[in-house]
Amino acid sequence: MLKIVGSFVAGIVFTAVLAWNMMGGLMFVERVSPFGVEETVARIQHNIQDTGNGWALSGLRNPAKAIQQDGGNALPVLMVEACSTAYSKPILNEDSVRFLSILMPCKISVYKKNDGKTYIGTMNAGLMGKMFGPLVGDIMGKVAADQVKFVVMDPSKPAPQMIVPKPAGEGGGGGGGGGGGC
Amino acid sequence: MRYKSMLMATLALTGTVALWSVRASDAPAAAPAADQAPTKQTPQPSSVEQRAARTTADHSKFEALQKDFKSGPEVTKACLSCHTEAAKQIHKTKHWTWEWVNPDNGQKLGKKNVINNFCTSTQSNEAFCSSCHIGYGWKDKNFDFTSEENVDCLVCHDTTGDYKKLQGLAGHPVYKQMEYPAKSGKMVPAVDLQDVAQHVGATSRASCGACHFLGGGGDAVKHGDLDTSLKNPKRYLDVHMDASGLNFSCGTCHATKGHNIPGSRYTPTGKDAIAKHIRGKVDESNPTTCQSCHGQKPHKDDTIITAKLNEHTDKIACQTCHIPQFARGGKPTKMLWDWSTAGKLKDGKPFKILDSAGHDAYASIKGDFKYEADVVPEYQWINGKVKYTLLGDPVNTNGVTEINHYYGDANDGKSRIWPIKMFRGKQPYDLESKSLLVPHTAVGYGEKDDSAFWQNFKWDAALKAGAEASGQPFGGKFDFVETTMVWPITHMVAPKEDALTCTQCHSKSGRLQGVQGIYMPGRDANKWLDIIGWLAALGALVGVIGHGALRIYLSRKAG
Repeated sequence: MLKIVGSFVAGIVFTAVLAWNMMGGLMFVERVSPFGVEETVARIQHNIQDTGNGWALSGLRNPAKAIQQDGGNALPVLMVEACSTAYSKPILNEDSVRFLSILMPCKISVYKKNDGKTYIGTMNAGLMGKMFGPLVGDIMGKVAADQVKFVVMDPSKPAPQMIVPKPAGEGGGGGGGGGGGC
Repeated sequence: MRYKSMLMATLALTGTVALWSVRASDAPAAAPAADQAPTKQTPQPSSVEQRAARTTADHSKFEALQKDFKSGPEVTKACLSCHTEAAKQIHKTKHWTWEWVNPDNGQKLGKKNVINNFCTSTQSNEAFCSSCHIGYGWKDKNFDFTSEENVDCLVCHDTTGDYKKLQGLAGHPVYKQMEYPAKSGKMVPAVDLQDVAQHVGATSRASCGACHFLGGGGDAVKHGDLDTSLKNPKRYLDVHMDASGLNFSCGTCHATKGHNIPGSRYTPTGKDAIAKHIRGKVDESNPTTCQSCHGQKPHKDDTIITAKLNEHTDKIACQTCHIPQFARGGKPTKMLWDWSTAGKLKDGKPFKILDSAGHDAYASIKGDFKYEADVVPEYQWINGKVKYTLLGDPVNTNGVTEINHYYGDANDGKSRIWPIKMFRGKQPYDLESKSLLVPHTAVGYGEKDDSAFWQNFKWDAALKAGAEASGQPFGGKFDFVETTMVWPITHMVAPKEDALTCTQCHSKSGRLQGVQGIYMPGRDANKWLDIIGWLAALGALVGVIGHGALRIYLSRKAG
C-alpha cells in the first residue's frame, strides 16, 4: 500500500515539476523574423490592419527607450498593441472574466537578441483562453487564429512604412494612442 | 524588577530591529560610485564656459581679426600672423595630404588613394568630397598642397557652429547667400567669417564630427560608432563623452601633438602592451588606446570575478565587452550598399524608396541600402596590420573582395579579439583588368558634366571618366563585385553595468562563436573529455548511492 501511495505522490510531484518547467514555454511563443526590428513591426502593423474582425492598432511602445533615459542600454524592443472590440466587448461585459482586461490590448513584442537576430514574441492566446471557461476560450481561440495572420512575414511584399502613433508612445509608459481598438 | 528587565530587553530588541531595518532599507540608496550616478552629478559647465575658463586669449580682441573677411584664405592669413608654424604642421598631416604610406607593406593609403565600398573614391570627385578636407580650393589635381593660406583653420577650431562647408564648393564655406542644393528653393546664408574667426577655440565633438559623424554621405553612415548623437551624448551612449558627466572631447583621447592627430584605422593598435601614460613621461605609444589610461589591469583586482576579467585583457579588446552594440544613439548606420542597382529612373527622373523606418532603401544615384540601429558587432582577431585592395589590385570575381583585410591570429601574441562593423557592398570593376573602378559621380556646385553619374546616370561614361582621372585602364566592359570593409568599433563605450556578461560569449551560440583559434569553456567541447567527465560524474553518483545503500543494508542486517 505504501508503495502505491508513494508512487502516486511521486507521480504527482514529477508531473507538477514538469508542468512548472514547461509552463513558461507554453504560455508564450517566440519566433525568428527574417527582417529587422522596424520592418518586422511595420509588417505586423499592416497585417493587423488587413486582418479585419475589428482589429485596430492601439499603440507602439518602446520600453528600451525608458532604460536609455535612465542611463542604461537595452537591445531594441518595440511592442505593437492592437485591439478588437469584437473580441474585447463580450469579455468586458461579463463580470466573472472582466479581470482579463489586464491582458488588453493584445501585444506583440518585436525585439533583437544578442545573436543579432530579430524575434517576435506573442502570447499563446488559444491555450491561455482555455483556462478561463468557454466564453473566453472561444474568443481567445479566434484571437489566436488572427494572431497567426499578424505575424506572417511575406518577403515577396515590399517593406511597408512603420506606423508611429501621434504622440509617440515612447518611454515605456506613455500610451501610443493609435486611435483604434479598445 | 523582572518585568523592568524584560521591558528594557524588549525595547532594546525593538530598537535594534528598527535600526537594522532602517539600515537595510537605506542600503540600496547608498551613494553609488560617481560613474554610476549620472543624474546626481553636478551639471558640467557648457563648452563655452569651459573654454572661457581655460583660454588665456580672447580672439575677439585681436587686431588681426578685426577685418571684414571675404574668404577663408584671408582668415587663414590672419591666423598665421600669430600662429606662424600651424600651417607647416598641418601640411605634414593626413588631414591635409589625404595620403599615408603604410610602413608595413608600402601601400599608399589615405583618402586620396583608397577605394572603399561607400562613395568609393575621392578621385574625379574632389570638388564634392573636399568639403571634408581641411583646406580651401581642392577641386582637381592642380590643388596646391604647399600653400599655407589654403589651410582651413576654422573647420576644426570654429566654436559657433555656423561654419559649414557644403559639398561641391571645393572646401569653401558659403561666402554669399546661395540656393543649396541647386534648384531646391532652400537658401543657405553666407557665413560671418569675422564672427567665426573671433570665436575660435579648441576642437570639440561637434567640430570633429562635422566630418567624422557624416562620413560616407550622411549621418552615421560610415563608422557605426560615430554619428551626431555623440554631439551631446547621454551616459548610456558613451561614458567618456557623456555631456553631463566626463564630457570628453575627441581630443581628450586623440591627444594631438603639432596638429598631428593620433589614432587611425590605417594604424590600429591591436594589442597595447604598454603601461598607462603618465604626465611628464615621454611616451610615444598610441594615446587613444583604452590601456593608455586604464592600464593592463583595468578591473579592480579584489574579487575572483574581476581578477578573471583582468586575465581576459591579453586576448580580448576592452571594446569587445564594453561596446555591446554600435549605432545605439538612435541613428541607424548603413550596413549594405549595392551600387549595381543604381541608375534606375521613373519617368526619366531619379527617385528614392524608403525603408520601414523612413530611411533610404533605394536611391537612383546610389543604389540599394540597408540601415540598422543597435547593431550587434561581428568579432575578429586584430593585430594592427592591415592591407587594402587598391586600384589596380585584382578582385575576387568568384567570391567576396576584401576592401581591407585586418590581420590577426590567436597565437601571434599581438592580437586581440575586436568588435567590428562589417560593411558589405557591391561595386563596379573592370572585366579586363579585374580591378576596381572609380565611378565619377559628383561635380562642383552648379557645374554640368555629362560623364558624372549623378547627373546622367550612365555607368559607361562615369567609369570612363573615373578611370581617366585615377590613371587606371578601362576596357569599356564592367560588372559588379561583392566587397566587404572592416571598421573596428571603438566609440560608444557603454556603462560598465551594460558590459557583456560571461554567457554572452561563453555559450554555444554566443557572440564569439565565429572566432577561431582558442578554446572557450561553454562554447567549445572535446568529445573525449566530455565522456570522461560524464563517466566521472556518473561514477561518483553510483558510488554515493551504492555506499549509502550498502550502509542501510548492513545496518538493517546488523539491527
